[in-house]
Amino acid sequence: MGMKVVTETQNKPVAESTASIAIIILMNLWAYPILILWTLFGILVFPLLFVLGRLFLRWSADRLTRWFIWLYGRGWFLLMSPFVRFDREQMAVIKTETPHLFVVNHFSFFDTFCMALLPVHNIIFAVRSWPFRMLWYGSFMRLARYLDVEGERWEDVLDSCKIAFAANGSVLFFPEGHRSRDGRLQRFYSGGFKIAIAAGIPVIPLCINGTDRLLPPGRKLMRPCRICLKALEPIDTGNFGEKDGHLRLRKLVKSRMASSLAEMRGEVE
Amino acid sequence: MTEAEVIELIDSSLAEEFELERTDMTPEANLYDDLGLDSLDTVDMVIVLEGAFDFKIREEEAIRAIRTLDDIHRFVLSKIEQHS
Repeated sequence: MGMKVVTETQNKPVAESTASIAIIILMNLWAYPILILWTLFGILVFPLLFVLGRLFLRWSADRLTRWFIWLYGRGWFLLMSPFVRFDREQMAVIKTETPHLFVVNHFSFFDTFCMALLPVHNIIFAVRSWPFRMLWYGSFMRLARYLDVEGERWEDVLDSCKIAFAANGSVLFFPEGHRSRDGRLQRFYSGGFKIAIAAGIPVIPLCINGTDRLLPPGRKLMRPCRICLKALEPIDTGNFGEKDGHLRLRKLVKSRMASSLAEMRGEVE
Repeated sequence: MTEAEVIELIDSSLAEEFELERTDMTPEANLYDDLGLDSLDTVDMVIVLEGAFDFKIREEEAIRAIRTLDDIHRFVLSKIEQHS
Protein backbone atom coordinates (compact mmCIF):
# COMPACT_ATOMS: atom_id res chain seq x y z
CA MET A 1 0.00 0.00 0.00
CA GLY A 2 2.58 2.61 1.10
CA MET A 3 5.13 3.92 -1.37
CA LYS A 4 8.58 2.66 -0.61
CA VAL A 5 11.10 5.16 0.62
CA VAL A 6 13.87 3.07 2.11
CA THR A 7 15.91 4.71 4.82
CA GLU A 8 19.61 5.17 4.48
CA THR A 9 20.11 2.94 7.49
CA GLN A 10 17.91 0.22 6.00
CA ASN A 11 19.65 0.52 2.66
CA LYS A 12 23.20 0.53 3.92
CA PRO A 13 23.51 -1.36 7.19
CA VAL A 14 27.09 -0.30 7.79
CA ALA A 15 28.82 -1.41 10.98
CA GLU A 16 29.71 1.56 13.15
CA SER A 17 33.44 2.21 13.43
CA THR A 18 35.01 3.11 16.77
CA ALA A 19 35.36 6.70 15.61
CA SER A 20 31.71 7.00 14.61
CA ILE A 21 30.60 5.43 17.91
CA ALA A 22 32.68 8.04 19.72
CA ILE A 23 31.04 10.82 17.68
CA ILE A 24 27.58 9.44 18.43
CA ILE A 25 28.35 9.34 22.16
CA LEU A 26 29.78 12.86 22.03
CA MET A 27 26.78 14.10 20.09
CA ASN A 28 24.29 12.69 22.59
CA LEU A 29 26.27 13.98 25.56
CA TRP A 30 25.91 17.39 23.91
CA ALA A 31 22.51 17.29 22.23
CA TYR A 32 20.27 16.17 25.09
CA PRO A 33 21.59 18.48 27.84
CA ILE A 34 21.75 21.45 25.48
CA LEU A 35 18.18 20.80 24.34
CA ILE A 36 17.03 20.85 27.97
CA LEU A 37 19.01 24.02 28.69
CA TRP A 38 17.78 25.69 25.51
CA THR A 39 14.19 24.83 26.40
CA LEU A 40 14.59 26.13 29.96
CA PHE A 41 16.18 29.29 28.60
CA GLY A 42 13.30 29.68 26.18
CA ILE A 43 10.71 29.27 28.94
CA LEU A 44 12.49 31.87 31.08
CA VAL A 45 13.08 34.43 28.34
CA PHE A 46 9.66 34.07 26.71
CA PRO A 47 7.77 36.46 29.06
CA LEU A 48 10.27 39.25 28.36
CA LEU A 49 10.21 38.72 24.59
CA PHE A 50 6.45 38.47 24.71
CA VAL A 51 6.07 41.85 26.43
CA LEU A 52 8.63 43.50 24.11
CA GLY A 53 6.94 41.97 21.08
CA ARG A 54 3.54 43.21 22.16
CA LEU A 55 4.96 46.68 22.74
CA PHE A 56 7.05 47.10 19.61
CA LEU A 57 5.75 44.64 16.99
CA ARG A 58 2.13 44.92 18.13
CA TRP A 59 1.41 41.38 16.96
CA SER A 60 -1.32 39.27 18.52
CA ALA A 61 -0.32 36.95 21.35
CA ASP A 62 -0.73 33.83 19.24
CA ARG A 63 1.34 35.18 16.34
CA LEU A 64 4.08 36.28 18.73
CA THR A 65 4.15 32.82 20.25
CA ARG A 66 4.45 31.24 16.81
CA TRP A 67 7.33 33.57 16.02
CA PHE A 68 8.95 32.62 19.32
CA ILE A 69 8.56 28.90 18.55
CA TRP A 70 10.15 29.50 15.15
CA LEU A 71 13.09 31.29 16.83
CA TYR A 72 13.40 28.39 19.26
CA GLY A 73 13.75 26.06 16.28
CA ARG A 74 16.32 28.34 14.68
CA GLY A 75 18.37 28.33 17.87
CA TRP A 76 18.21 24.55 17.96
CA PHE A 77 19.73 24.41 14.45
CA LEU A 78 22.67 26.43 15.69
CA LEU A 79 23.16 24.20 18.73
CA MET A 80 22.96 21.04 16.63
CA SER A 81 25.19 22.38 13.85
CA PRO A 82 28.39 20.64 15.05
CA PHE A 83 26.68 17.32 14.25
CA VAL A 84 23.82 18.06 11.88
CA ARG A 85 23.84 19.88 8.58
CA PHE A 86 20.58 21.65 7.77
CA ASP A 87 19.70 22.37 4.15
CA ARG A 88 16.61 23.62 2.42
CA GLU A 89 15.55 23.61 -1.21
CA GLN A 90 13.10 25.56 -3.33
CA MET A 91 11.97 27.84 -0.55
CA ALA A 92 11.38 30.54 -3.18
CA VAL A 93 8.03 28.91 -4.00
CA ILE A 94 6.76 30.04 -0.58
CA LYS A 95 5.44 33.58 -0.65
CA THR A 96 5.67 35.30 2.72
CA GLU A 97 2.51 36.91 4.07
CA THR A 98 0.44 34.66 1.80
CA PRO A 99 -1.64 31.90 3.37
CA HIS A 100 -0.79 28.33 2.48
CA LEU A 101 -1.62 24.91 3.75
CA PHE A 102 1.60 22.95 4.19
CA VAL A 103 1.70 19.17 4.29
CA VAL A 104 4.89 17.39 5.27
CA ASN A 105 5.98 13.78 5.70
CA HIS A 106 6.81 12.58 9.19
CA PHE A 107 9.89 10.62 10.26
CA SER A 108 10.89 11.91 13.68
CA PHE A 109 9.97 13.88 16.79
CA PHE A 110 12.38 16.54 15.51
CA ASP A 111 10.46 17.13 12.26
CA THR A 112 8.48 19.85 14.04
CA PHE A 113 11.71 21.60 15.05
CA CYS A 114 12.85 21.49 11.44
CA MET A 115 9.83 23.50 10.30
CA ALA A 116 11.86 26.51 11.42
CA LEU A 117 13.75 25.98 8.17
CA LEU A 118 10.73 27.51 6.46
CA PRO A 119 11.08 31.19 5.60
CA VAL A 120 7.80 32.00 7.36
CA HIS A 121 7.00 31.80 11.05
CA ASN A 122 3.26 32.47 11.12
CA ILE A 123 2.28 28.81 10.88
CA ILE A 124 -0.32 27.00 12.96
CA PHE A 125 0.51 23.34 13.42
CA ALA A 126 -2.34 20.84 13.27
CA VAL A 127 -1.43 17.99 15.59
CA ARG A 128 -2.97 15.16 17.59
CA SER A 129 -3.94 15.53 21.24
CA TRP A 130 -0.90 14.03 22.93
CA PRO A 131 1.63 16.83 22.20
CA PHE A 132 -0.63 19.24 24.08
CA ARG A 133 -0.02 17.13 27.18
CA MET A 134 3.74 17.75 27.11
CA LEU A 135 4.34 19.85 30.21
CA TRP A 136 7.06 22.05 28.72
CA TYR A 137 5.52 22.61 25.27
CA GLY A 138 1.75 22.33 25.82
CA SER A 139 1.14 25.84 27.12
CA PHE A 140 3.12 27.36 24.24
CA MET A 141 1.13 25.31 21.74
CA ARG A 142 -2.14 26.47 23.24
CA LEU A 143 -0.95 30.07 23.27
CA ALA A 144 0.08 29.74 19.61
CA ARG A 145 -3.44 28.41 18.88
CA TYR A 146 -2.17 25.14 17.47
CA LEU A 147 -4.97 22.84 16.38
CA ASP A 148 -5.85 19.66 18.21
CA VAL A 149 -7.31 17.75 15.26
CA GLU A 150 -8.04 14.76 17.44
CA GLY A 151 -9.80 16.53 20.27
CA GLU A 152 -11.60 19.38 18.51
CA ARG A 153 -14.69 19.10 16.33
CA TRP A 154 -14.06 19.10 12.59
CA GLU A 155 -16.17 22.25 12.12
CA ASP A 156 -14.14 24.08 14.78
CA VAL A 157 -10.85 23.07 13.17
CA LEU A 158 -12.08 24.31 9.81
CA ASP A 159 -13.23 27.61 11.33
CA SER A 160 -9.88 28.10 13.08
CA CYS A 161 -8.04 27.48 9.81
CA LYS A 162 -10.21 29.98 7.96
CA ILE A 163 -9.51 32.59 10.65
CA ALA A 164 -5.77 31.90 10.35
CA PHE A 165 -5.85 32.17 6.55
CA ALA A 166 -7.83 35.43 6.73
CA ALA A 167 -5.00 36.86 8.84
CA ASN A 168 -2.44 35.73 6.22
CA GLY A 169 -1.29 32.88 8.42
CA SER A 170 -0.64 29.33 7.25
CA VAL A 171 -1.53 25.92 8.63
CA LEU A 172 0.69 22.84 8.61
CA PHE A 173 -0.49 19.23 8.66
CA PHE A 174 1.39 15.96 8.97
CA PRO A 175 -1.02 14.02 6.73
CA GLU A 176 0.38 10.66 7.84
CA GLY A 177 -0.65 11.39 11.42
CA HIS A 178 2.19 9.30 12.82
CA ARG A 179 5.92 9.02 12.36
CA SER A 180 6.88 6.46 9.75
CA ARG A 181 8.59 3.46 11.30
CA ASP A 182 9.79 1.87 8.08
CA GLY A 183 10.76 4.82 5.91
CA ARG A 184 7.65 4.46 3.76
CA LEU A 185 5.07 7.15 3.22
CA GLN A 186 2.07 5.95 5.16
CA ARG A 187 -1.63 6.37 4.54
CA PHE A 188 -2.60 10.02 4.26
CA TYR A 189 -5.51 11.40 6.28
CA SER A 190 -7.89 13.61 4.34
CA GLY A 191 -8.49 16.43 6.84
CA GLY A 192 -5.87 18.88 5.62
CA PHE A 193 -6.86 18.44 1.99
CA LYS A 194 -10.54 19.01 2.73
CA ILE A 195 -9.64 22.19 4.60
CA ALA A 196 -7.47 23.52 1.76
CA ILE A 197 -10.30 22.95 -0.73
CA ALA A 198 -12.99 24.38 1.56
CA ALA A 199 -10.91 27.49 2.24
CA GLY A 200 -9.62 27.83 -1.34
CA ILE A 201 -6.01 27.90 -0.14
CA PRO A 202 -3.09 26.42 -2.14
CA VAL A 203 -1.34 23.35 -0.79
CA ILE A 204 2.44 23.34 -0.59
CA PRO A 205 3.85 19.83 -0.14
CA LEU A 206 7.04 19.70 1.90
CA CYS A 207 9.48 16.80 1.93
CA ILE A 208 11.80 16.31 4.86
CA ASN A 209 14.67 13.87 4.69
CA GLY A 210 17.34 12.93 7.22
CA THR A 211 15.43 13.16 10.48
CA ASP A 212 14.94 9.40 10.34
CA ARG A 213 18.71 9.20 10.60
CA LEU A 214 18.83 11.78 13.40
CA LEU A 215 16.26 10.11 15.64
CA PRO A 216 13.67 7.70 14.24
CA PRO A 217 10.82 6.43 16.42
CA GLY A 218 11.90 3.80 18.93
CA ARG A 219 15.52 4.97 19.18
CA LYS A 220 17.12 7.01 21.93
CA LEU A 221 20.50 7.85 20.45
CA MET A 222 20.77 10.68 17.94
CA ARG A 223 23.14 10.33 15.02
CA PRO A 224 24.97 12.89 12.91
CA CYS A 225 23.20 13.50 9.65
CA ARG A 226 22.20 15.92 6.95
CA ILE A 227 18.62 17.13 7.11
CA CYS A 228 16.99 18.66 4.06
CA LEU A 229 13.60 20.31 3.79
CA LYS A 230 12.33 20.79 0.25
CA ALA A 231 9.26 22.75 -0.79
CA LEU A 232 7.39 21.52 -3.86
CA GLU A 233 5.38 23.70 -6.23
CA PRO A 234 2.14 25.01 -4.71
CA ILE A 235 -1.02 23.25 -5.89
CA ASP A 236 -4.04 25.44 -6.54
CA THR A 237 -7.07 23.79 -4.93
CA GLY A 238 -9.62 25.66 -7.03
CA ASN A 239 -9.92 22.71 -9.42
CA PHE A 240 -10.71 20.15 -6.74
CA GLY A 241 -14.15 21.36 -5.67
CA GLU A 242 -16.08 18.35 -6.97
CA LYS A 243 -17.43 15.61 -4.68
CA ASP A 244 -14.48 13.59 -3.40
CA GLY A 245 -12.09 16.15 -4.90
CA HIS A 246 -10.02 15.83 -1.72
CA LEU A 247 -9.18 12.26 -2.71
CA ARG A 248 -7.81 13.42 -6.06
CA LEU A 249 -5.84 16.20 -4.37
CA ARG A 250 -4.53 13.82 -1.72
CA LYS A 251 -3.34 11.33 -4.34
CA LEU A 252 -1.66 14.06 -6.38
CA VAL A 253 0.16 15.45 -3.34
CA LYS A 254 1.23 12.02 -2.15
CA SER A 255 2.50 11.06 -5.57
CA ARG A 256 4.58 14.26 -5.87
CA MET A 257 5.97 13.82 -2.37
CA ALA A 258 6.87 10.17 -3.01
CA SER A 259 8.73 11.09 -6.22
CA SER A 260 10.54 13.95 -4.57
CA LEU A 261 11.50 11.92 -1.51
CA ALA A 262 12.82 9.12 -3.70
CA GLU A 263 14.93 11.67 -5.56
CA MET A 264 16.19 13.28 -2.34
CA ARG A 265 17.18 9.87 -1.01
CA GLY A 266 18.91 8.83 -4.22
CA GLU A 267 16.44 6.03 -4.93
CA VAL A 268 15.40 7.05 -8.40
CA GLU A 269 16.19 4.23 -10.81
CA MET B 1 -30.28 -0.80 -4.41
CA THR B 2 -29.78 -4.42 -3.48
CA GLU B 3 -28.05 -5.41 -0.26
CA ALA B 4 -25.00 -6.50 -2.24
CA GLU B 5 -24.86 -3.14 -4.01
CA VAL B 6 -25.10 -1.28 -0.71
CA ILE B 7 -22.26 -3.34 0.74
CA GLU B 8 -20.16 -2.79 -2.39
CA LEU B 9 -20.73 0.96 -2.21
CA ILE B 10 -19.76 1.04 1.47
CA ASP B 11 -16.61 -0.99 0.91
CA SER B 12 -15.48 0.87 -2.19
CA SER B 13 -16.09 4.26 -0.54
CA LEU B 14 -14.16 3.30 2.59
CA ALA B 15 -11.36 1.71 0.55
CA GLU B 16 -10.96 4.92 -1.45
CA GLU B 17 -11.11 7.24 1.56
CA PHE B 18 -8.81 5.27 3.82
CA GLU B 19 -6.48 3.68 1.24
CA LEU B 20 -7.58 0.21 2.30
CA GLU B 21 -6.80 -3.01 0.46
CA ARG B 22 -10.03 -4.66 -0.61
CA THR B 23 -8.61 -8.07 0.25
CA ASP B 24 -8.32 -6.99 3.90
CA MET B 25 -11.92 -5.81 3.99
CA THR B 26 -13.65 -8.92 5.24
CA PRO B 27 -16.94 -8.44 7.11
CA GLU B 28 -15.39 -9.50 10.40
CA ALA B 29 -12.40 -7.16 10.01
CA ASN B 30 -12.07 -4.88 13.03
CA LEU B 31 -11.84 -1.28 11.83
CA TYR B 32 -9.18 -0.37 14.34
CA ASP B 33 -7.16 -3.54 14.94
CA ASP B 34 -7.32 -5.04 11.45
CA LEU B 35 -7.81 -2.11 9.10
CA GLY B 36 -5.69 0.40 11.00
CA LEU B 37 -8.30 3.12 11.40
CA ASP B 38 -8.20 5.35 14.46
CA SER B 39 -10.07 8.10 16.26
CA LEU B 40 -9.20 10.64 13.54
CA ASP B 41 -10.94 8.44 10.97
CA THR B 42 -14.26 8.20 12.75
CA VAL B 43 -15.43 11.63 11.61
CA ASP B 44 -14.26 10.95 8.05
CA MET B 45 -16.04 7.59 8.07
CA VAL B 46 -19.32 9.29 8.96
CA ILE B 47 -18.80 11.92 6.25
CA VAL B 48 -18.02 9.22 3.68
CA LEU B 49 -21.17 7.27 4.52
CA GLU B 50 -23.33 10.39 4.56
CA GLY B 51 -21.96 11.37 1.16
CA ALA B 52 -22.42 7.91 -0.33
CA PHE B 53 -25.98 7.38 0.90
CA ASP B 54 -27.27 10.93 1.29
CA PHE B 55 -28.40 10.65 4.91
CA LYS B 56 -27.35 12.26 8.18
CA ILE B 57 -25.91 9.93 10.79
CA ARG B 58 -23.37 12.03 12.70
CA GLU B 59 -25.66 12.43 15.72
CA GLU B 60 -26.50 8.72 15.88
CA GLU B 61 -25.47 7.01 19.11
CA ALA B 62 -25.18 3.65 17.31
CA ILE B 63 -22.10 4.93 15.46
CA ARG B 64 -20.10 4.66 18.66
CA ALA B 65 -20.77 0.93 18.89
CA ILE B 66 -19.39 0.17 15.42
CA ARG B 67 -16.30 -2.02 15.55
CA THR B 68 -16.26 -4.19 12.44
CA LEU B 69 -16.97 -3.72 8.77
CA ASP B 70 -20.03 -5.89 9.18
CA ASP B 71 -21.28 -3.50 11.90
CA ILE B 72 -21.15 -0.73 9.28
CA HIS B 73 -22.94 -2.86 6.69
CA ARG B 74 -25.75 -3.68 9.12
CA PHE B 75 -25.96 -0.09 10.37
CA VAL B 76 -26.28 1.37 6.87
CA LEU B 77 -28.75 -1.30 5.73
CA SER B 78 -30.94 -0.57 8.75
CA LYS B 79 -30.80 3.18 8.04
CA ILE B 80 -31.81 2.59 4.43
CA GLU B 81 -34.67 0.39 5.59
CA GLN B 82 -35.84 3.11 7.99
CA HIS B 83 -35.81 5.69 5.21
CA SER B 84 -37.67 3.54 2.68
